[in-house]
Amino acid sequence: MKVSFFATLRDITGIKDSERFQAATVEELLNNLCVSYGEKFAAWIWEQGQLSNNIMILVNGRAIHHLNGIQTRLKATDEIAIFPKVAGG
Amino acid sequence: MFGWIGRLLRVNLTSGKITKLPLNQTEAKAYIGARGLGTKLWYNEVNPAIDPLSPENNLIFATGPLTGTLATSGGRYNVVCKSPLTGTIAASNSGGYWGPELKYAGYDALIIEGKAEQPVYIWIDDDQVEIRDASQLWGKTVFETTDALRLATKDEAKVACIGPAGEKLVKFAGILNDYTRAAGRSGVGAVMGAKNLKAIAVRGTHGVKAADPEGFMAAILRIRQMLKEHPVTGQGLATYGSNILVNIINESGGLPVRNFRDSGKFATADATSGEALTEKYLIRNKGCMGCSISCGRINKVSSGKFKTFGEGPEYETAWGYGADCGIDNLEAIIKANNLCNELGLDTITMAATIACAMELYENGYIKQEDSGGPLNFGNVEAIVALTRQTAYREGFGDQLAEGSYRLAAKYDHPELSMSVKKQELPAYDPRALQGLGLNYATSNRGGCHVRGYLTSPEILGIPEKLDNLATEGKAGWVKTFQDLTAAVDSAGICLFTTFGLGGPEIAEQLKTITGIDYSVEDVLTCGERIWNLERLINLKSGLTQADDCLPPRFFTEPMKVGPNQGQLSKLAEMLPEYYQLRGWDENGKPTEERLKALAI
Repeated sequence: MKVSFFATLRDITGIKDSERFQAATVEELLNNLCVSYGEKFAAWIWEQGQLSNNIMILVNGRAIHHLNGIQTRLKATDEIAIFPKVAGG
Repeated sequence: MFGWIGRLLRVNLTSGKITKLPLNQTEAKAYIGARGLGTKLWYNEVNPAIDPLSPENNLIFATGPLTGTLATSGGRYNVVCKSPLTGTIAASNSGGYWGPELKYAGYDALIIEGKAEQPVYIWIDDDQVEIRDASQLWGKTVFETTDALRLATKDEAKVACIGPAGEKLVKFAGILNDYTRAAGRSGVGAVMGAKNLKAIAVRGTHGVKAADPEGFMAAILRIRQMLKEHPVTGQGLATYGSNILVNIINESGGLPVRNFRDSGKFATADATSGEALTEKYLIRNKGCMGCSISCGRINKVSSGKFKTFGEGPEYETAWGYGADCGIDNLEAIIKANNLCNELGLDTITMAATIACAMELYENGYIKQEDSGGPLNFGNVEAIVALTRQTAYREGFGDQLAEGSYRLAAKYDHPELSMSVKKQELPAYDPRALQGLGLNYATSNRGGCHVRGYLTSPEILGIPEKLDNLATEGKAGWVKTFQDLTAAVDSAGICLFTTFGLGGPEIAEQLKTITGIDYSVEDVLTCGERIWNLERLINLKSGLTQADDCLPPRFFTEPMKVGPNQGQLSKLAEMLPEYYQLRGWDENGKPTEERLKALAI
C-alpha cells in the first residue's frame, strides 16, 4: 500500500510518501506510523485515545468518515492519504 | 454611530460634483455594510436593466462596521456595481489596507457616478476630496500607478486602481489595492475603466468608534485565541497559504483538470501545491490589516524565463493556470499570477478562459491562425503570453478578453465554457461536490465558490464532514452558507475567519462594535435579506430560472477517473428544495410574502 503525507506532516515524516508500511486496518496503520515517526506525529493523530478531529484520512480518495472510520479495512493495493486539517479557497 | 462612520461620499465624474451625505441608519442596520449596504445603495439609485459599461452604472466602494477595527481580518471592503461579464449584480471583495483607510478618512462608502471626459483619479485626504487629471497614468500598470500616486499625494496614501486591463474594458478586469490585493471577480475593473477612472488614493487620520469598547476587546481577544488554536487559521493557512488545498482536493477526486474534461485526478498536482510553493518560492507570508491568519504569499522566482517577484498565487490561481490548463510548471503559474496583478486581471476567469480556448483548439474549433500559435493543454509559454495579450487586447487576447462564454459561443461551442451566468467556475468539480454544484448554479454573481463554500463540509470536514456525493439536506446547507457568507462579507471581515469561528462570534463582534443587539438569527436574516435583494436585482436585469444551471458537461459526461469516477451532477434533485427553503416560487422568484417578511 502507498501512504502519502501532506502539509505539516511532511515536516515530521521527512518524506512525501512510503510503500514500506503494511496493515490490515487504518488503526493498525496509524499505530505503525506513530512508532516510526514518534510523538510529534502521534500528537497530530490521536486526541485522548480517539482519532483527532484535526486529521483527515482518505482511503482511495474517500474520507474514512464515510467508510468505517479507523476500523476501515485495508488492502495491499490501497492508497492512503493523511492530511492535517486544512482549508483555503 | 458606532462601527459605522455615518457618512457617505458621492463623486459624480460627469459633473465633477462632490457631496457628503449621511448614512441611513435603518439601511445600515438591515444590510450591515460592504456587500449588503453597497448593494442596497446601488439598488436605491440604479435601474438594474442598464448597460454595465454605461455611465449610469454606479460603482460603489463600501466598508463594513468591522472594517478598520481590531477585528481579525477587518481589512475588507466590497466593490458593487452591475457586472459586464455576467449582467448580474457584482460584489467583489478585497482585503489589504485600502478599505480601512477610506473609513479613517470619514466615509462608510464611496459612490461613484457618471463618466469623466478624460482619465482622472480621485484623491481623498480626510475631508478634502478632489478629482484630478490622470492622463499621465493611463496605460500604466497597477504597480506603476500605485507608486506614482503615493508620490503625487502622500506616501501614507492607500491606492486602489485599475491596470491596462480595466482601461481596455476586459470583461473580467479587477481593481487592485495596496499593489496586490484584488477585488478580482466579475469585471468591476472594466466598470471603473468605462468611467475613465484610473485610481482612488485615500488617506484618513480618524478612527472607528466602538459602542462597547470593553466588550469588543474582550470578544476580539477571545476570538484571536480561537483562531490561533485552530489548525487551519492558526497554522495551515499561514504556513502554506490557500494553495494548501491543491493536494486534498486532488486526492479527494474533486480537482477539475483540463477545462473539467479530465477531472478527478491530476497526476502531478503536487508540483503546483502550497507545499511546493513554500519549499521553493516563498519569501515570507503576509497579512491584510489586523489579520492574525496572514495567508498571503510573497513569492520570488529567481532566474530563468519565468523570473518574477510578487504576491500569490492563491489556490484558485494555482489550479486555473495549473491543472485546468494541464500545467504543472509552478514557475510559469507564478509568473502568470503576477502578471494578472500587475495588469489588473481576475486570475480565475483569465486562466479558465485560456483553458477553454485550449479545449476549443484541441477539438479543432480554434485554428492556429486564430490563436496565433499552438494552444494545446500544457503549453506553459501560452499562459504567460496570452495573459499579457488579453490585458492589452492584443491579437488573440482581444477574444479572450470577453471571457470563456463569449469566446466559446463565437466558435459555436458555448457548451465548452465552464461557467455559470457567464462567470467561470472555480477549482472544484460540481460532479464531485454536489452541494457546491447547487451553490454554483444559484450564486448571485455566477460561477463562484465564495458565495456558499460547501467545500468546507463536503471535503474539509468543517464544521462537520458531509458526504460530498449525497444530495439529501444539501439545499439547507447551501442556503445557510450563502446567508452567513453574505453577512460576513457585509461585516467587513474575511470569510477565512469562519473556518475557526461561527455565527455567535460574528454576532458578538457586530453587537459590541455597533451597539445593536444582533443575535445569530439576526445576522442570518440580514444575510438572507442581502441574498434576496441580489436575486431581485438579477431578475430585474433579465435573468431567469434557466440561468440557475451548470454547463451541460456536468450532466452528460461522467467523471473519468479518481474516487468519484462515473459521477454526474444531481442538481435537479436539490434545486426545487432550495427554492422552497428560500421561500421562492417554482420559477425561482422571491414571493411577495417572503420579500415583505425580509422588509425588502
